[in-house]
Amino acid sequence: MSVRFIHTADWQIGMKAAGLGNAAATVREARIHSIERILRLADDQGVDFLLITGDLFEDNAVDRLLIRKVGDLLGRFSRPVYIIPGNHDPLVPGSVWEHPVWAEASNITIARSADPIELDRCVLYPCPLKEKYSTQDPTAWIDAHQTEKIAIGLAHGNVEGLPEAEPDYPIPRDAARRRGLDFLAVGHWHSHVPYPDPDGSVRLAYSGTHETSKFGERDSGNVLVVEIPGRGATPVIECVPTGALRWVSSRHAVNEEGSLEDVLREVRTIENPEAVLLRLSLSGLLFTSDRPRLSSLREIVGTRFLFGAVEDEGLIPAPDDDAWIETLPGGPLREAAVRMREQAVSGSDEQARTVAARALIELFDLKEQSGT
Amino acid sequence: MIVKRIGVTNWRGFLDPMEMGPFSERLNVIHAPNGTGKSSLFEAMRRALFDVHHVGGAEIEEIRPWGRKLSPSVFVEFSEGGNTYRVEKTFMDGASAKLFQEEEGRFQPIADGRNADTRLREILSADPPGRGLCRQEHWGLGQILWAPQGELALKQISGGVGESLRSALGMEVSGASGSRLEELVEARFLEFFTRGGAPKKGKNAAPVVAWQQKQETLEQELVDLREEHRRYEEASRQVDDARNRREQARREADALRESVAGLRKAAEEYVRLKNEQVRKKEIAEIARERFESIGRTLEEIKATRETIEGLEKSVATLSGENEQAKADVAAAKALLEKTRTAREVARRRRDLITEKQKTIDAARDYHACRDELTKLEQRLERLEEHETELGRVKKERAEMISPDPAKIRELRRRLGERAAARAALAASQVHLTLTPRKDCEIENLTDAGKHTIKGGSPTVFSGDEVVEVLIREFGSVRASGPEGGADAHRAHLEAAETRIKTLSQPFGSDDPDYLQKRREEADALDQRIAALRKQIEMVLDGDERDSMVGRRKELKATIDDFEGQHPNWRSAPPVVGLLQTEFETFSRDVNESVASAEDAFERSQSDHAAAEKRQVELNGMLKAGQGNLETAGKRLKVLVDDGLSDNDRDKKRSEALMAWQAAKAGVEAAESELNSIPGDPARELEKLEKQRQVMEEEVAHSRDQEKSAEGRLQALAARGTYSRLAACEESLAEVADRIRRESLRMEAIRLLYETVRDAKGALLARVTAPVEESASRMLARVAGPRLGRPIFTQDFVPDAINPEISAGPVNLQNLSGGEQEQLHLIARLALADLLAKDQRQLVVLDDVLNATDSGRLRRVLSLLEEISERLQIIILTCHPERYRALEGAEFFALTR
Ligand SMILES: [Mn+2]
Repeated sequence: MSVRFIHTADWQIGMKAAGLGNAAATVREARIHSIERILRLADDQGVDFLLITGDLFEDNAVDRLLIRKVGDLLGRFSRPVYIIPGNHDPLVPGSVWEHPVWAEASNITIARSADPIELDRCVLYPCPLKEKYSTQDPTAWIDAHQTEKIAIGLAHGNVEGLPEAEPDYPIPRDAARRRGLDFLAVGHWHSHVPYPDPDGSVRLAYSGTHETSKFGERDSGNVLVVEIPGRGATPVIECVPTGALRWVSSRHAVNEEGSLEDVLREVRTIENPEAVLLRLSLSGLLFTSDRPRLSSLREIVGTRFLFGAVEDEGLIPAPDDDAWIETLPGGPLREAAVRMREQAVSGSDEQARTVAARALIELFDLKEQSGT
Repeated sequence: MIVKRIGVTNWRGFLDPMEMGPFSERLNVIHAPNGTGKSSLFEAMRRALFDVHHVGGAEIEEIRPWGRKLSPSVFVEFSEGGNTYRVEKTFMDGASAKLFQEEEGRFQPIADGRNADTRLREILSADPPGRGLCRQEHWGLGQILWAPQGELALKQISGGVGESLRSALGMEVSGASGSRLEELVEARFLEFFTRGGAPKKGKNAAPVVAWQQKQETLEQELVDLREEHRRYEEASRQVDDARNRREQARREADALRESVAGLRKAAEEYVRLKNEQVRKKEIAEIARERFESIGRTLEEIKATRETIEGLEKSVATLSGENEQAKADVAAAKALLEKTRTAREVARRRRDLITEKQKTIDAARDYHACRDELTKLEQRLERLEEHETELGRVKKERAEMISPDPAKIRELRRRLGERAAARAALAASQVHLTLTPRKDCEIENLTDAGKHTIKGGSPTVFSGDEVVEVLIREFGSVRASGPEGGADAHRAHLEAAETRIKTLSQPFGSDDPDYLQKRREEADALDQRIAALRKQIEMVLDGDERDSMVGRRKELKATIDDFEGQHPNWRSAPPVVGLLQTEFETFSRDVNESVASAEDAFERSQSDHAAAEKRQVELNGMLKAGQGNLETAGKRLKVLVDDGLSDNDRDKKRSEALMAWQAAKAGVEAAESELNSIPGDPARELEKLEKQRQVMEEEVAHSRDQEKSAEGRLQALAARGTYSRLAACEESLAEVADRIRRESLRMEAIRLLYETVRDAKGALLARVTAPVEESASRMLARVAGPRLGRPIFTQDFVPDAINPEISAGPVNLQNLSGGEQEQLHLIARLALADLLAKDQRQLVVLDDVLNATDSGRLRRVLSLLEEISERLQIIILTCHPERYRALEGAEFFALTR
């Protein structure tokens, strides 16, 4: 009598997307659209139910329309959904869980207390959070050793071993075994992390967020499809990507004339740029001859991608590359250009160098504009 | 450019066409007396070259000859860039312009109208405004080369002249393209900053200002939203707290309710026991009551029996005593009657005392009346005497004449006056004393009186002024004296005598001593009258005489009255002392007998009363004793009416005692059961009940609080604050990024602008050096080395001078007028020299060097001669002799 389900967490609906300009709305929308993908996956996989282990919402004070939207979405789903509140959306007065949408949907169960939920083939042990911080192990209450059915825990917190200054909802690494669970579905970390037992079987895992939430986030944008063949059997876990957006953060050091061409080529090869958030960080030397390439790069990054940022403040004009300066009319302009180039290369501080480099670019642009 | 020829028609003072030229390529002196129009000629040249021909306005109106409707026209022939041109312009009515170029010795038209104006400007590289008058700043090189009258000093240089100078110096600073780029840099800078370098504000503010404002707005919004979010979380906590409180209160209320139920049961049990105890106590009380009642009855029977016995004895005794008392009363009564009679007898004698007393009083009064009468009669007698005497003296006084002292004094005075008047009269008369030897008859002829004079008796005859007597037998003797005076004295004498007569007339004497004596006698009588009156007054002593007489009558009547009652008093008046002694003896005797009779009476009266009282008392006691005896008999009858024997009764009493003891034991049992419960649970129940109510209220209160907190929370939750917060933070991040980028760009633009500006400044400072050098040399030649080196601004305007001995540059104002003039001329020449590098240039000096002395003028002329190798110089002056020394100069006299 096996059980098959989807484990997901940390949807963080309503999360802010600062520094993404016009893409912010799209990024926030994407976190909702991906839910539909999860539900389709659930149907395709024919799972018994869906487990959402905390932080479904970014904050209890998110727009009520968002709650309605997500609730309706899950309510229309044909399979049972079990949800525990996490540290971002703890079960407190006025929380998102008081919204009527949850009561309207008969398939949704919000675990409001730490009490076992007995199903046909398994028993769920939900650990809802009721405050933002706690030093208590939320799974401490579970004792599933005597259960004959498959025992599945739902928790939200920090699995011990993660670099945490203070214990914050600490969950022992061996919590599943210790509590007599076949599988402990954990939320909170946005990356997918399995915790294998010494025998290699995984009974405790972070599913990670279903949609990547920021640059530099590893192994995110997935859900776990878990199948537990029977009480005591090793769970079979499949990590399935569900995220629509890709967050690409790339750094390039350019030190030779023409090396921007490589960057350009790389950027051009990124697929589906309309679903990619790209942060390109450039450092090194900028040659006059590379200026058009830099412009093209800015153009491509700024227009083709859902979001694109070129951080080129780390670029300084190449010291030997003063050909254009020589073409300036002799006199104050050339003199000033020489001075500013000097400052751009060996200015007293980063800011001074950046300003000087930028001033040179301005002069260069004005020169091009004047047609000299 | 150099000028070849010039001509004007209808130009200010020049009505007839006037032409001048051809000019020398080197030195020219145009001279004319003051007011002839040298400057007009210079002006005509400028207008021909730079003004558009269709220019209008008041300024151009002025060049029309005064009071005429003529159109001024001018032509100028000049060389520029190797070509020779001729321009003809007519202004105002029929304005026109024509430009010719010399080709093979002939002027061929190349442009006319506006095209001519435009072409001309191109040739001269001047940049006057599209229309209107040309001003000095639009003269192009003329700004330097042409010094208008009184404006030798170079104030500023505009347009591309500076650049021309720099390029002539081979020290091109920016060049045309550089200038353009510099302008672009400046324009870019001015998009964001003011010239002063402050970021622009207001309508044309740099975009960063708007972004910063937006940032501020968003930051405030963010603060507000965070506060709102905090309030939301706070509200959530409040709801939680309220729920917890309510939960706690409910738990406590439940616990209390349980306690209350348990305690209530205990309280009910307590009440039951308490009731039981009361009931048993009542039973015991009844038993006790019964026992005691039986005892009391037995006691009472015994006591009643004893009472009856005693009563019977005392009734017998009382009966005997009562009879004795009755006898005592009768005896006392008899005695009483006897003493009463004795008392009455004694009392009747007391009336005699009163009578005797009255007699004594009457005797006393009788004597008093008699004494008074005697005194009264004496007084009346004295009164009579005094009044009689007074009448006599009054009569005597009334009959007496008594002049008053004033009249006596006057009389004495008048008598004196009369004597004096007589003496004066005698003195004023003639007196004749005759003493005959024998008697003789003498007739006074003076008054016709006849006198017989005894012999030997001197007789005096007196007369006024003259006395004449006829002596018988003798004849007449006449004596005379001085005339006058006797009449006045005689009048005095008569007056005195008349007055004396009047005064003495009432008294019949004019002897004052006699009158004085009378006066004194009258005074003595007056004193006597006063004394008598006093005496009468003393006798009256305030009484009226009539009343005294009346009183005397009264007294006599009273005395008669007394004597009527006591006839013996008339013969032997009573002696009061005797009567008094007799009376006292009598009254003592009477009073004593009355007192003893009264004592006896009172004694027998009280004895009688006592006997009667005693008898009544005894009678009452006897009656009471008999009544008590009867009552006791009845009571005993009732008490023993139970049909029991005394033994039966004692038995019954023992039974009642046993029943009482049993009931008491029951009470003790109930009490010990009650004592097993500590205190009355009802009181604690009451307390707990109150607590429970308070707790129920607390539950209700908490529920209310919870509801209101929930209301607040719902309202706050509905706002979806976090989503708005997120949106705000996103916007803020966006804005901050924009500001960062804008700021960076602005800083870059500022750096660019400032770096270019600084570099240019440094370069420009280097550029003016050769000009300063050349001017310095020229100045040294004219004024010696003392003045030192002129200093030019970056725009080639002479600005200061750095004298040899000075520590630093000094203002040009510090130079003398002549030296200033020389320096400004040299500055122009030094700059003109530069400009003439490629081709000869025209220099116009309109009426300059007026303040320069002839010594220095000579050296200036040498300088001009020298520099005219490269410049065409036209000097306008009204002192041609000052320039005669100029070698090779053409002189032109200007006439009308
Ligand atoms: Mn979390």
